[in-house]
Amino acid sequence: MSTVETSVRTATIASRVRDRARTTPHVIALREKDLGIWQQVSWEQYWDTAELAAHALIALGVEPGDRVAIHSENRREWLYTDVGTVAVRAATVGLYPTNPVAEVGYLLRHSGAKVLIAEDQEQVDKALAIEDLPDLKHIVYVDPRGIRHRYADPRLIAWTDFLAIGTGHRAADSDAVTRRMEESRPDDVVTLIYTSGTTGPPKGVMLTATNVDFAIQELVERGGFTAPPPSPRDSVLSYLPLCHVAERIFSGWFGAGAGVTVHFAESIETVATNLHEVQPTILFGVPRIWEKIAAGVQIRVESADPLKRMVNGYWLRRADWIGGVLAANGGRHTAASRAVYAIGWLFCYRALKDRIGLRKVRYAASGAAPIAPEVLRFFMGLGLPMHEVYGMTENTAVATANRPGRVKVGTVGEPHPGVELRIDESTGEILTRHPGTFAGYWQDPDATAKVIDADGWLHTGDVGEWADGTHVRITDRMKDIIITAGGKNVAPSEIENALKASPYIKEAIVIGDRRRFLTALIGIEPDTVGHWAQTHRLPYSTYGDLSAKPEVIALVQTVVDDVNARFATVEQVRSFRLLPKLLDHEDGELTATQKVKRSAVCTAFAGLVESMYAGGAR
Amino acid sequence: MSRPLLYLSYKQDMALLNTPAKRWWTLVLGLVAVALPFLLTDDLLVVLATACVASIGAIGLNIVTGYGGQVSLGHAFFLGLGAYTAAALSGDPDSTRLIGFGITSLPVWLLAAGLVAGLAGLIVAPLAARLRGLYLAVVTLGLVFIGEHIFKHWRELTGGVGVGRPAAVPELFGFQFAVDGELFTKAQKLYLLMLVLLVIFGVLARNLVRSRTGRALAAVRDRDLAAEVIGVDVTRYKMIAFAVSSFYAGVAGALLYVMIGFVEPGSFNLGMSVQYIAMVLIGGVATISGSVLGALFITLLPRVTRELPAVLPFISGSSAAGGITVFQVETILYGLLIIGFLIFEPRGLFGIWIRVRTYWKSWPFSH
Repeated sequence: MSTVETSVRTATIASRVRDRARTTPHVIALREKDLGIWQQVSWEQYWDTAELAAHALIALGVEPGDRVAIHSENRREWLYTDVGTVAVRAATVGLYPTNPVAEVGYLLRHSGAKVLIAEDQEQVDKALAIEDLPDLKHIVYVDPRGIRHRYADPRLIAWTDFLAIGTGHRAADSDAVTRRMEESRPDDVVTLIYTSGTTGPPKGVMLTATNVDFAIQELVERGGFTAPPPSPRDSVLSYLPLCHVAERIFSGWFGAGAGVTVHFAESIETVATNLHEVQPTILFGVPRIWEKIAAGVQIRVESADPLKRMVNGYWLRRADWIGGVLAANGGRHTAASRAVYAIGWLFCYRALKDRIGLRKVRYAASGAAPIAPEVLRFFMGLGLPMHEVYGMTENTAVATANRPGRVKVGTVGEPHPGVELRIDESTGEILTRHPGTFAGYWQDPDATAKVIDADGWLHTGDVGEWADGTHVRITDRMKDIIITAGGKNVAPSEIENALKASPYIKEAIVIGDRRRFLTALIGIEPDTVGHWAQTHRLPYSTYGDLSAKPEVIALVQTVVDDVNARFATVEQVRSFRLLPKLLDHEDGELTATQKVKRSAVCTAFAGLVESMYAGGAR
Repeated sequence: MSRPLLYLSYKQDMALLNTPAKRWWTLVLGLVAVALPFLLTDDLLVVLATACVASIGAIGLNIVTGYGGQVSLGHAFFLGLGAYTAAALSGDPDSTRLIGFGITSLPVWLLAAGLVAGLAGLIVAPLAARLRGLYLAVVTLGLVFIGEHIFKHWRELTGGVGVGRPAAVPELFGFQFAVDGELFTKAQKLYLLMLVLLVIFGVLARNLVRSRTGRALAAVRDRDLAAEVIGVDVTRYKMIAFAVSSFYAGVAGALLYVMIGFVEPGSFNLGMSVQYIAMVLIGGVATISGSVLGALFITLLPRVTRELPAVLPFISGSSAAGGITVFQVETILYGLLIIGFLIFEPRGLFGIWIRVRTYWKSWPFSH
């Protein structure tokens, strides 16, 4: 089994990594591509560098309870710092690489981080542009290009020098880190995870050593997601921001907890290539990623030559059917579907999955936002064991999951064994209670009091219901529920996801609160619609120009009509407008995790919204 | 679990057989090649053995012309040098008419043939380093004429026009290849010998072109000025290309007449040079496997056209019968094929293979 004897009182990710370095020193822990070659890091090297980072942090004056911020894409140094920080009993604060200066300023100031690990010149510039940061003492930069010999700020330290400080400190006091780790207590805050903040400013979720330990035991060691549980034979691709709890689980904690080999993607643009190379066995994606892969497959098969189009088009339609059968059977094959799949595997599915890098995936999961059942079925039909899971930062992402073989499409699955979950009778809100419930929002006891009640129940803010008494179905975020002027309750996410399941639609925001009928703002997917325009000989220049084409509007209209046919009259989108630009984090329309900030979008495009309600009832 | 694209080292990245598919197909190809002597008749095996030798020569030309970008029409000259070095070394020392040293050991005369030709290449190379394109082609053309003249008139070495001399005797540690044995016929033995030699020289060439030298050659080919700017010693690499190419030509020349057993001095003419250029162009410029394909194609072509009279009655087997003869058809086909490939498939047979491979490799998408 993959459980590791823990030698300190509280098992932290630091002690887990150290134990792996002792028991399996030469097994590969991390791989990162550098100049075309995947550089390997063994558990021994991993712990050695993390320990150096820990020594360096002590040398820089980081005390228990301090915060260390990391502003970087996923890379080895991210995990070294995270593990080192936990080892010295400080808390890691992850910043999204896309965070604009103002948000970086807010997060650094609010968290009071003492040390910032910044990836490159871009992130260093952001930190240096902020005036008033009394707590920030040191900025460690990982990539020296453009910084070394050019920047004079006394707080700057190069990563190599940072490690050299650690080496010096280790030579002088080799037990310093071990002593710190022995002092660690279960209620130490090990990380602050700032929630995306679709409504207000981001709030820092304090996760303690106990929370993380519970999550690792529940999700990793007891195999809360995968069956059998993850092991050193598994590998994952780390490509979603590590500041998000989901990626922290899949690449940080799956690694430390189960010895899974973590591969770092070069960037979000190269995920497709990296997937093809790495062929991970466990893959977690947000709905946006799955939608994009699915749309890519459909478009690329359609644009292939006639023979390929004919053969693979046929097998994709068969996959639809297989997906339907699997969805109806909890993810298990019937004899007929297995036979059809076996033939399709020879002609299409094997090669297709290999091309998109999913051939070795034994467990695929979608979470962090609701996903359309069509997308899940599509992947299930291709032979990908697809599972929708549910959790939130505030409960360390431990709540429910569809278990292999017991999948119910359209639900988020069953509560994990160690989780108490109930649905509030009056409001329909989902409540959870378990040792993973967070310690509170950082410096915001009022907000904390609002979500954790006296009995220790966490109010998730999601409205849900039981499906067949075992699975949980989520209707929507409580605050997003639309109450129309006619008094009907409508869950917009269901309609939005149905729209987004079309390869042509990237974003959909359904509007209708206190209105006579529902409308939608729709953002087209530039790649696929651009391709569609090209094949229909429709010239266009920019995204805005493409969105304004009557032909494109007609194309989206067909999608909307299709979706409307599946919903009740009150839930039908009567009118829509296409967004003239791609939504962007920088402009405050998306959160760092690419979630739409509903109110911001509605304000920014108020003119479009009003134009849909102008001119009398339709 | 195998992840062929997860390159953990440059060695793995640059490996010749870097994917399982390549490994499997190479194994299958190897097994078929070894099984052929037991499946085909001896006359076909002789043609195939000749094709193997021609492949070595074509690889040599491809190194200088395909990889190095230096057009050489002088390949026949170097082939001739190799042929006569080998023939003279293994020739009968007691003969009064011809030079002969009686060294019949194959490795010795093969290496010597290569070295002599390579040395000649090295002598010519400084010229090549100064010239480019058409001028280089004309200079190397001159070599062929000089060679032809020498071969025709140095009777002690070549036996003279119309007479010729016996080719080199293939013998390895006392084992004779060129005579029928108890287990194998002469053709079977020669085919296997040439196959092994082709594999050896093919792998050597493949290793050369994927090394620093190969990359430098390609840089010189693509733009010599740019190559010089990025630090490639253009003169040095042009000389290396010529020397290696001539070495390969020498080796091929030494082996080329072993099957027939006889060398005629008139054969090392412009026509032979053009034939090798055709192999490179039809096979695929700057590819080793393309050179082999091209050599196979060109060598097997006469064999195929010879079957034509049976199918198409207006083609006659000999010039006496009137109408169009197979030899004329052959010449026309050469011309048509070269033109056709240059226009429609500049990457040659290898390009077609790549296209087919990509089609299936990219399944189920287009790219």
